Amino acid sequence: MSIDWATLGLQALNVLILVWLLARFFWRPVAGMIEQRRAAAQALLADAGAKNEAAKAALAEITQTRAGFAQEREALLAQAQAQAAAARAALLAEAAQEAEALRREARAAMQTEQAAAAQAWRERASRLAVDIAARLAARLQGEAVQAAFLEYLLHEIQALPPAARQVAALEVASATEISAAAQSEITARISAALGAAPRITFKTEPALIAGLELRGPHLRISNSWRADLDRIEQDLTHDG
Amino acid sequence: MISPLSNPPLFHLGPLPVTQPVVATWGIMLLLAGGSAVLTRRLRLTPGRTQAALELIVSTVDSQIRDTMRAEPGPYRAFIGTLFVFIFAANWSSLLPGVEPPTAHLETDAALALLVFIAVIWFGVRAGGVRGYLASFAFPNPIMIPLNFIETLTRTFSLLVRLFGNVMSGVFVIGIVLSLAGLLIPIPLMALDLLTGAVQAYIFAVLAMVFIAGAVAEAKPETPSTKAPP
Repeated sequence: MSIDWATLGLQALNVLILVWLLARFFWRPVAGMIEQRRAAAQALLADAGAKNEAAKAALAEITQTRAGFAQEREALLAQAQAQAAAARAALLAEAAQEAEALRREARAAMQTEQAAAAQAWRERASRLAVDIAARLAARLQGEAVQAAFLEYLLHEIQALPPAARQVAALEVASATEISAAAQSEITARISAALGAAPRITFKTEPALIAGLELRGPHLRISNSWRADLDRIEQDLTHDG
Repeated sequence: MISPLSNPPLFHLGPLPVTQPVVATWGIMLLLAGGSAVLTRRLRLTPGRTQAALELIVSTVDSQIRDTMRAEPGPYRAFIGTLFVFIFAANWSSLLPGVEPPTAHLETDAALALLVFIAVIWFGVRAGGVRGYLASFAFPNPIMIPLNFIETLTRTFSLLVRLFGNVMSGVFVIGIVLSLAGLLIPIPLMALDLLTGAVQAYIFAVLAMVFIAGAVAEAKPETPSTKAPP
């Protein structure tokens, strides 16, 4: 047995070339691809980890936001309740004010009505009293009453200022018809009281009840029970 | 039958005689390199079945290197992996009719052993420098220098003899049985020969890793201990 050195050298060279060829076409590309996949997987894992962290952060943020929503909802609810309570209190206050105003108005109206009614009753009572007095006074017709009224009339005339006494014509009104004699006496006494001699005419007015009233163009002396009763009624009515 | 011990040249390339193992090796080289170039042309991040099989081969070789050499496989992958793949393919080339495995010839095995011998020196020098590598022969003491030197030669020789003996004997036995018995009788022996071929490829690659790892570990300068004194 002998060794073929040329074959040995060629085989060594062949294997060396094969080592280079396989390194070039097999080991390096495949190992590189494995390494690329490992790096890609690592990057994917890192990315997934980062996304996981981001998702956790987002979840925490969402949880916080939801908690914020709950708080905000509670705050809004409380605010709405407070607003509703305030609105209710305002409405109640307004309603109370309106009710108070209505009550005041009603009270005022009632008082006005009561006053009006009282006034009406007072006027009615006054008129009734005057009517009663008129009826009672009507029963007191007579010479004495007539004389008394004449004295009152003369007294009133004397109280007039001198300028007012200068009249040309006068009218004397009485409740009952006066006789001619009595008319002459009354004319004489009035002329004396006036200090002049005006033309005097007589007129009968039953509404006067009793008394004598002197009427001129610029002069009027109400001297009768009607006039007295009217003054009394007016006083009674206005006193209330 | 042609004896595996005889190695007649088929033709000459100038002064160089080209023998049958050389031609068979060229065929294997063409097949492996061409196949690799075709199969790794379109590698993708999402692998198909073929790419997954290729990656399984690379991952297995890397795993073996890590386990055996306790080192990252990058610098050794091409050499160790190619040794395994070539010896495996060469041993199994006997399946093809008329093809005699190149590893059944002494020159091919000697060439492989020689490459391992050179690789041990190369990686040892690269790890610790020339001085470091030569100093590794004086481990554990200078008296061991001759023995360590002889061991380096003999283990290389043992690689050569182991591979040659196993493959050559298989081819020899099958040839003898085939010449004596019928056509189907050698089939079990051929199956056994395939198993032997795969195992021998694995053993050759593992031993190459062990030798290289030993040289690298012994040639590397001692790293200072980081352990704090008590």
